[in-house]
Amino acid sequence: MSARFSAGNAVAIAGFATTEAVRHAEQALGALAVDTARSAIADAGLRVDQIDGFVSSSLLPSAGGHRPEEGVSVVSSAWLAQQLGVSPDYAAGFDGIGQITGSVAIAVNAVASGAADYVLLHRALHNPRGRRYHSNPMREVHGALQWTAPQGFFGPLAMIALPYTEYLQRFGARRESMAAVVVEARKNGARIPWSYWHDRPLSSQEYLSAPMLCDPVCRYDCDIPVDGVAAFVLTTAERARDLPHRPVYVAGYASGAPQTPRLPTHWPLDDIIEGGAEMARKLWAHSGIGPAQVDLPQVYDGFAPLVWLWLEALGICPTGEAHRFVDAGGIDADRPGSVPALSGGGALGNGRMHGLPQMLECYLQLAHRAGPRQRDEVNVGLACHSSPHYGGAVVYTAEGVC
Amino acid sequence: MSASRPVPVPDAVSAPYWAAAAEHVLTVARCARCGQASMPPEVVCPHCRSTDPQFTFAPVSGRGIIRSWTVVRQAFLPGFDADVPFVLVDVELDEQPGLRMIGRLRDGVDARLQLSAAVVGDFEDLAEGIAIPAFVLAP
Repeated sequence: MSARFSAGNAVAIAGFATTEAVRHAEQALGALAVDTARSAIADAGLRVDQIDGFVSSSLLPSAGGHRPEEGVSVVSSAWLAQQLGVSPDYAAGFDGIGQITGSVAIAVNAVASGAADYVLLHRALHNPRGRRYHSNPMREVHGALQWTAPQGFFGPLAMIALPYTEYLQRFGARRESMAAVVVEARKNGARIPWSYWHDRPLSSQEYLSAPMLCDPVCRYDCDIPVDGVAAFVLTTAERARDLPHRPVYVAGYASGAPQTPRLPTHWPLDDIIEGGAEMARKLWAHSGIGPAQVDLPQVYDGFAPLVWLWLEALGICPTGEAHRFVDAGGIDADRPGSVPALSGGGALGNGRMHGLPQMLECYLQLAHRAGPRQRDEVNVGLACHSSPHYGGAVVYTAEGVC
Repeated sequence: MSASRPVPVPDAVSAPYWAAAAEHVLTVARCARCGQASMPPEVVCPHCRSTDPQFTFAPVSGRGIIRSWTVVRQAFLPGFDADVPFVLVDVELDEQPGLRMIGRLRDGVDARLQLSAAVVGDFEDLAEGIAIPAFVLAP
């Protein structure tokens, strides 16, 4: 994938819907997904029977070992289409890391190739009851985890804690600087009506007094698990121009693909930095967009240290400098001239919606649908997911840009 | 002894590793085709890409350097509540550049750590016949 994407800006988002992010929804996840899908289709000015493609990623991103239950803990595209009474020409699921990036890529390819005219892309996230989100009751360790779990290296907190420590030590950063990241995410999330943290910003003092979970990761470095669903309708640029809302085009995408196998959930800092740089090279080549043209990067923040790593991977600041950049107000969405990298609140400011807040902010701002949060002169958005060396990103453009 | 912690279940590939560990001998998987070590032993050798690596487990010194660490204060697996807080270290073994293992650092949470600090191999005895590779700071 070295040349520019031949279908760049040929596919657009035409509508959306989202639920509130809540700790535990009253309705079953599948019911929320069906209602949200219907709302998104109506928002795009379409009827359910016009949707001929369904794309998603159904993974429940918990280390808890939960058995997936359709309509209860996960919602696949095929299940959703069936519940909507649609027999689609195309239904697919992404099963890699970076579920939103991967789903968007599949949806765009389906529309661009003509496999489907109108694709519903959704993601449904569930917060299981009964035990802590990542707690796993295993007594015996089989397979790949036998190399890590018996000594207590398990789950995503320890996963991110290792490269975070390495970053602090190598670049002379302090974990106290992460307060600026989380306070910014919560400030922006507090302004979003459907956010779990709506009207609940966080102060630096609150951040710094939070308990440590897996040094240097503290409670507020982690997004809070929620129940929630969002859905988008994608179609060709030509069709989208005849629909009610201003189209937002997909210029291109890239995912990371690290070459070195590692122990389960082992993310050495150098893998992230080198894999992220390679992913970014592919992203700029694929989208035909350069980093200087991106005025709305939405970095992924399921764990706060990923914000520093993404800012560096995208070239917004040099490697090892993001902690100083953010501390100096570099991503303050209210400060003219700054990079509004968490203007949509991200996962830390919305809840564990797994890449959806980043995609949604790009869509809302570029479609001029962000209401009182609407920013002036935003033309190129970039939605990241997961870690730079795995999850990748999607570049979006507004009407009139390309 | 912490019998309630999850215990590894040896399989056809890993059985020699756990048998050696029970004798407090640290080994790593070595590809019979190219001789390079890798952890974990994947289906395909990550060095020569052989689909028939016929891994053998050869003893290593256990010496290495700390590439990173964390202090686990909240356990997500059963049997660790009495152990927290504990230190995990990400170690690059001396035997081969890039050869990494993650294990407990048995010096405790007050040990002063820094990148590239030297460690040596050690073991935690979990149950009869089950020992988990770990590390201590080099003297």
